[in-house]
This record gives sequence, structure tokens and C-alpha cells, in this order.
Amino acid sequence: MNLKPTIGIETHIELNTNTKMFCRCKVVDTEDPNISLCPTCIGLPGALPVPNEKAIRYITLLALATGCAITKKGMFHRKNYFYPDLPKNYQISQFDLPVGENGKLEIVIDNEKDYVEIERVHMEEDTGKSSHEGTGRIDSATSTSLDFNRSGVPLVEIVTKPVIQSSKVAVAYIEELRQLAIDLDISEGKLEKGNLRFDANISVAPSKSDELGTKVEIKNMNSLRSLERAIDYEIKRQSSAIENGESIIQETRHWDESKETTTSMRSKEGSADYRYFSDPDLPNMVLSDKFVNQVKESLPSLPHENRNKLVETGLDLSDSNVLSKSEKWILELYFKVFDNTKDSKATFNWITGELQGQMRKLEIKSLPEWFSPNFLSDIIQLIDANKISFTSGKVILEELIQKDTTPDDVAKKLNLYQENDESAISKIVNEVIKNNQDIVERIKNGEDKLVGFMVGQIIKSSGGSINPGIAKEILSKELNL
Amino acid sequence: MSKKFDISNIAKLASVSLSDDEKQKLSSDLSVILEHVQALSNLELDTNIEDVYIHPLEKELVLDEDIEKPSLTHDEALSNAPKASDGKFMVPPSLE
Amino acid sequence: MELLNLSIRELNKLFVNKKAKPSELYSEIFDRSASSEAALHAHLSLFEETNLEKAKNSDERFSNSENVGLLDGIPLAIKDNINIKNEKTTCSSKMLSNFVSPYNATVISKLDTEQAIYTGKTNLDEFAMGSSTENSAFGLTRNPWNTDYVPGGSSGGSAASVASRSSIAALGSDTGGSIRQPASFCGLVGFKPTYGTVSRYGLVAFASSLDQIGPISKSVDDARIIYSSISGHDSLDSTSINDEQIDLPFDKNATIGIVKELMEDGISEESKKEVDKVIDILKQKGYNIKEVSLPLIKLSISIYYLIAPAECSANLARFDGVRYGLRVDGKTSYEMMENTRAEGFGDEVKRRILLGTYALSAGYYDEYYGKALRARKKMVDEFSSIFKECDYLISPTTPTEAFKAGEKTSNPLEMYMSDLCTIPANLAGLPAISIPTGLSSNNLPLGVQIMSKPLTDNSLLNFSEMLEKELDFNRTPEDWSK
Repeated sequence: MNLKPTIGIETHIELNTNTKMFCRCKVVDTEDPNISLCPTCIGLPGALPVPNEKAIRYITLLALATGCAITKKGMFHRKNYFYPDLPKNYQISQFDLPVGENGKLEIVIDNEKDYVEIERVHMEEDTGKSSHEGTGRIDSATSTSLDFNRSGVPLVEIVTKPVIQSSKVAVAYIEELRQLAIDLDISEGKLEKGNLRFDANISVAPSKSDELGTKVEIKNMNSLRSLERAIDYEIKRQSSAIENGESIIQETRHWDESKETTTSMRSKEGSADYRYFSDPDLPNMVLSDKFVNQVKESLPSLPHENRNKLVETGLDLSDSNVLSKSEKWILELYFKVFDNTKDSKATFNWITGELQGQMRKLEIKSLPEWFSPNFLSDIIQLIDANKISFTSGKVILEELIQKDTTPDDVAKKLNLYQENDESAISKIVNEVIKNNQDIVERIKNGEDKLVGFMVGQIIKSSGGSINPGIAKEILSKELNL
Repeated sequence: MSKKFDISNIAKLASVSLSDDEKQKLSSDLSVILEHVQALSNLELDTNIEDVYIHPLEKELVLDEDIEKPSLTHDEALSNAPKASDGKFMVPPSLE
Repeated sequence: MELLNLSIRELNKLFVNKKAKPSELYSEIFDRSASSEAALHAHLSLFEETNLEKAKNSDERFSNSENVGLLDGIPLAIKDNINIKNEKTTCSSKMLSNFVSPYNATVISKLDTEQAIYTGKTNLDEFAMGSSTENSAFGLTRNPWNTDYVPGGSSGGSAASVASRSSIAALGSDTGGSIRQPASFCGLVGFKPTYGTVSRYGLVAFASSLDQIGPISKSVDDARIIYSSISGHDSLDSTSINDEQIDLPFDKNATIGIVKELMEDGISEESKKEVDKVIDILKQKGYNIKEVSLPLIKLSISIYYLIAPAECSANLARFDGVRYGLRVDGKTSYEMMENTRAEGFGDEVKRRILLGTYALSAGYYDEYYGKALRARKKMVDEFSSIFKECDYLISPTTPTEAFKAGEKTSNPLEMYMSDLCTIPANLAGLPAISIPTGLSSNNLPLGVQIMSKPLTDNSLLNFSEMLEKELDFNRTPEDWSK
């Protein structure tokens, strides 16, 4: 049976505004519970919501950056359901007039461009945090404790169309969305902090069918790794079931990280009735052309635009993708260094390989103030011109990360400059030949591996840095090899 | 043409537990009221829902600057908590 | 006894001229409440302790001839669905019987700067749902004109307090007539401002798109003074508006409209006669009177009883025993919430929550709530057209005089029908006022309602004041003291 999976992803991004979505309590990142609250975010009787301008600006940025059509006259809706971490027992969200609709996000898969279509981008508020006391498992907890610091934090919800067909694409999509949020400076994008959370809707159907299968919602995937594994597991589970003639129940399942399976959440059956209706406390939100244009003009360079610029320098798509997802300073460094070297591959390799590797080894997160992009371009150019060896380049880099000096100074100090002048090298070669006649005889009699010994001697007698390649060439010529 | 409704389901959605007597009384009360509003349901209206404003005076939303305003202290926020421990509100276990 | 019958301006003049002191006034007020409360149960709580201090401070300001406002030292009763910091806000419900508010409603912050005094919190129908104050979880309030009768609702406590002089004036809230109807039943002025001109921040929400806070007072001028203090744009309320008042003529250049549909069946003859009385006065003064028709008004009750319960079902969802208020335990938090809400809410509240939940539920939205919203928009448009030809609309405030306690509690629909005249102003956001016009054959007060287009509050008050003078309704209830 030929089956194909269809995946849709719902992502929630916490915006890094100063205050909450519907009140001006400070957004805090602390273990101290219930310290940033007001009547509105804990649902006291008589409290009212007042929307955060910056949050609307941020969501408009995201909607524009994903090519969505902006809803000029939108509104907020109440999504009604009861849960202890939801103070009003309704969440202020958006139902049928979201800020953005019908956009897409470019991703790179296997060195090729692809797109994930976006259904909608809408604004809502976050809930408080529940902790279940007791044995640590939800279904055997003895009580639940609540911290409402997070209640009311602005959340943007992005829903894709059901167009994703593998866990690989799903992961690439999240990585891209995360980078976009970071580049737009609307979120820190830290998965481990819950800045970005996602659920997946997965269904499986015969490849030939036009219809989608019954969709199952998967929750509780806390990392990209769990996203990938959960999707793969669920596709397998559904496929097996279908092949065995079983039907798939529409439900919500929980990804169990330790067991690496999805399990049914018994409390939910079918779909909930949220009784959406327009929030009477919030008049229609009209986004003027002036506002939208202002936001459009403030769009920074987006990840896919950065990739295009990188490809123009000569990098392939895959490498461009890596850089587009690196920290901003790395991207800036690349362009500055490339400007001088005009060698995209070397620049890329030195930055992502050597530089980042050495920084990791030295356990530093950012380059020292004195470190100039020119250091790297100098090193690359010196190697290119055969003035120093590749190994010497690594040594110089290591020095420059730790000391305020220049490549030239280091090369001189450590005697790393290579002699490239053929006549100078010839002199040394001939000197060494003269002094090692017995070795020369043995080479002429077929002991080729002694050539290496001779080259070593040549290098030694030169005091360290002559171009080994040239030395070997001249030697071979002299000995008629 | 009055609709049949499931009072138990509505009570569940509204998170209010009702006794059997209450269910019966409320069921019949609601029937009476819904019958009265039927005239409205049957009314033909040429007004489009897209033209409906949320604010009766048809005002637009004003967005507030992202600047912190004074809020409640920790103690004030918990002052009416039926049960609290270690600075958190406590409730019986909530299943997901 | 003298000070209690005076208006705010008269009292202020006495204070300024040092002919009387705020503490003397408060003393009279407090003595009056000692007797009236036993008979009427207008208040749920009295703030004696803090008030003695406040009254003394007020005395000082006047004795030092400081620059003070009209409301300085004036005792006002506050409906118990308006938050006052560090005092209980119970909404007359078991759900909030122990809730001490940690914050002030904006109207209270404003009155605080005026240095007004709060007599205490007054009784209401639970969560403002009702027209008689019989739905209070803490016992009903009686009408000072005849204690067998209801004072009206939901702001019955506020009205009974002002009528019995245990406060100089009061704040109420009006969602479908809850200021105007009790004012009418108690022979007082009740004013519901244009929607959005008074902040709702701190008013426990019943139906967000309909609620407004307003004054219940002995005179139009008192209402005007209070309105001017409590109104104004509030950045804490997104439905609050910033607009300038629109001026209308209130002399005989004004055109008066009588709403045909509000003078038909369902309205008692006595109530119609009061409207006629007012029309005669206006005719004599040379006003232009015309009959207007708004057929959609006949459906106002249906529209209202879909919109209000729908909004309230969501507004009251926050009452769940988690963060404040009553908690009835359960094995799971879900069970706890269900049990808490079962015990915390009275019958009328449950009825409206369930009705609202149903109206919004899957499959029924378009037919019920969606339809009601569209009908409301049509009504707003129809009123707009009418106000192009008329400046003020006159109608009865209520179909009848006050009714006896217990008379209407068996049939919810019957109670709802009595809101026919007042509901349209809430649906369309119009300013509306009830002024007392006379007594019924049962010696119960009757009133007449005047409405005008949005943002003409000041003109409406001016027009009403002119009528008030002509009507010269100077009766006070005595029954309760017997």
C-alpha cells in the first residue's frame, strides 16, 4: 500500500516586548512566582484588556516577512474553555480575521529551495504555568500549582497549510521560522525557554487519494529532535494501523520523550467547542496603510534574502543556509572578509570551521574587541599567495583570538613566513644534496620513501619556513625523479 | 420550530454542575426564552455581519505604548487566594 | 433632617460659607442609615470607620477655605459591583462574599480626587442580573415608598439608599435599565451615560458592550455633577472614548419624538399618562412634537437576551475558585470549578450563563448571537436616522409602577419584558435618563425616560433639568419609617 503523510505545524512564538499583550505588566523571566501581575492578567472582576502596540507591530513584521496579506480591519475573539492556568477561562485570540493570511516561508532542503505555505498568523495571549506536584506524572499528581507571570505574554500563532510531507521538512521549517523571528528581533527564539513552541497535525492517506486522512494532533515536543522523532513515529503508527485495516481516531496525542512514543490523552475526545465570539472589550483593530508601510520599511534583511546574497558571492545553497542561521556577527564577518578575499569557499570554511572551532575550544562566545575581519582576510590571502602554510594560518588565528596583535606580527614572531623564491630554495636543496650523497644514491636506486627524509632535511636546514611543495619539486628535478 | 438542546452538554461547556431538578427547571426556562427569541431568529435581515462593529458607537481600537505601568504586589495578587503555597496558587490536580 | 434633603450644590454652598460641616452631614447620614437599613437593607456594607476620618478631613479643608470641588465631603452610596480598594466587592453573590478588592475602579479613583465620601456598598441583583434586587444572595432590598414593593434592579440598593436619604446620591450600573428603572420605581433621577464616556475599568462586567456606570440622585443637577466627575477617557478601558460632546438645543428649538412602539400594549395606562403629562408641558412651551416609529424596538428584548447572556457567559467564566472568591473542593480542578460555580451562582445567573453558552455554541452562533448582532447594528442605524429628525425621544421608563416582592419571580420571561423601554438605549449606546413625574394611584413613583443621540449627554441633562423644574416633583417616601 502506497501511503503518504501530510503534516501541518502550529507554532507559538513568545514576543520579546517589554510588557504583556493586554496589560502593561512587565514580561519577566524568573523563577520567582507571581511577581508581575495586575487585575487584568489574573482575571480579577472588573479588569479590562488594553492591547500592546509593539506586539501588533511585531506580528505585522512577521506577517509581512512571510508574505502574508495583512487584514486591514481585524478583531479579537474570545476562545472559551476552562483551565486553571487560564485566568479568565477564555483566551483573547483571533478567529476569522487574523493579522496575516496566505504567506509562505522559504526553506533549504538537500541544497535546494522549497517553500512551506502559511495559512495564517494571528495574535493571542499566553496562559500561566501549571506545575503538577506529586510523583511528577500528570495522571498521578496530588495537586497543581500555578504561576501567572507568563499569563498575558504576547504570543503569535503561525499555522501552516497541511503541505509538509516529512519530518525533515518540518524541522527545516521550524529552524527557518526561528531564525526569522530572531532576525526580525521579535523573539529570542530559545526553544529550551519555551520562546517558540510547536504542535504537529499528522495524517496518512493513500498516495493516489486526493483526500487527507484523519488528522491527529501531537503535543509536547520540546526540541527539534523530539519533533523529528515524534513525526516519524506517528507516521509509522498511523501507516501500520491503516495497513492493518484499522481506522485512525481524531485525537490529541502526547509525545513521550522517554518512551519515544505518542500516547493518547484520554481527557480529549473529538474537537472542543470554543464558542468563539468577537471580544466586546476590544473594538475593531484597523491597521492603517501608513502603519503597515512604516512596518514594511522597517523590515531588516531576512534569512532568505541573506541566503540569496550569500549565493551571489559563490557559496552553494547549503552553506548559505548554514550562514543564514548563524549569529548576526558571523554573517557580517563573512561579508567583510569576502569583500577582501573574494574567495567564498575559503571564507566560509575558515569562519565556520577554524574560527568557530577554536572559539569552542577556548570556550568563548564572542570575539575580542581587537579582532578585525581583516585578520581573517589577511590569513586567507597569505595562504593563497603561498606566503604561509595552512597549518601556520591556524596557528596565527589561535594567537589573534587571544592576543591583541596582527597576523604579520605573529608570522614574523613565530617565523611562519614561507620562502617561495626558487633560486633561494635551490641553493638550500643543492646544499643538502651535497651533504647527503649516500641518501641520494639510495633514492636513485629506488628507495623513494627517502625523498620525504630529504625534504625534511631541506626544511630543517632552512630554519623552518620554506615552501615544502617547491622544495620537493626542485629536489625531484635535481635528482631527475 | 424550537430546537432541542442538551442541557447536560451546555452545563459541561459552562463548567457548572447541575442537579437533576435544576436541569429540568433550567431546561424548561431556556425553552420558554428561546421560543420568545425565535421571532428574531426568523427575521430576515439585510445587514451583513462584516458591517457590524464591536463598539456600539463604531469606534476603532487604540493601541497602547509598550511601557510598564504599576501593578499588584505579590501579596496583593495572592491576597484572595483560596489556597496558596510557596507563592503559587494551589488547585486540585488538573488533567491536561 | 434638613441637610439630607439638600442638593449637592446647596450642601457645598453651606460648607463653603461655613454654615454647616461635612461631619455634621455625615452624622445625619449615618443616623439615618441606622434606621433605614433595618427596614430597607439598601446597603451590604457601611464604611463608618474610614468615613469619620474622611469627614473630619473634609471639615478642615472647608474651614481652611481651601480650593475644593463640589463633591468634597458628599456621602455617595456605591453599588457593590464597583471595586473599591481594600473593601469587599461581592456583586451580591456567594461567589464573591469574601472577595476584598486590591484595586480601585477608575470612577472611584476619580471620585477620590474629588474627596467624596462613600457611605458603603449597596445591594444589587446578583452580578447585576435582574430588575428587582430580589436576585441578591444576601436578601432583598425594599422600596422606601412601600416596603412591600421592590425598589427595582439591578441597582435597587443604590436607589433605595438615595430615596431614604442614607446617602446624598449613588452610583449604579446600567446594562438593560438597571439605573433608570430603580430610579423610576423610587422617585429619583437615574442617568445612563453614552456608552464609552464613563470608564468600565473596575466595574464587574455583566455585558461588556452594554454596561455603563451612572448616577442615581435626587435631582438632575446632582446627576450632572457626578457625571462630570466620573466621565472622561480612560486608557485602562479600550471601549472608553475620547470624543467631544455634541451640543443640541434644549429650548423650544429642539424637536421631540414619541416612540410609537413604546406607547403600545404592555405599557400601563398610568405610565402612558405620565408621558402625556410631559408632552403637554412641552407643547405649552412651544416645542415641536412628532411621533416616530422604530419597529425593530419590538425585538429589543430578544436581541438583548441573546447578546447580554452570551457576553456574560464569558465574563463570568473567571469565577472558578482558583485565584479568589468561593472555592468548593473537588478531586480534580475541573470538578472543583464545576462545584464552585454550582454553589456560588444563584438561579438567575445560572440561567443567563447557560442561555449565553447555548447561543454561542457550535452550530447556533449564526442563528442566535450572530443574528442578534446584525439586528443590533440595524437598530443603531435606525436610531441614527430618527435622530436626524428629532433631538430627544420621550417614552415611559417602565411599563408599570414598582411591583410587589415575589410577584414576578416565578416567570423569568415576565421579568425580562419589563425592560422593554430601557433596553434600546443600551443596545444603541445612547445617553438616557429617567426623571420622576408623579405618583401612581398606589402612591408609587412613576417616571419618564428621555433619550438622545450619542455624545449629547450634557444637552440631555440640560433638557431634563428644564422638565424637572416644570414637573416640580417634590415628594419623598415616608412609608419605610413607619
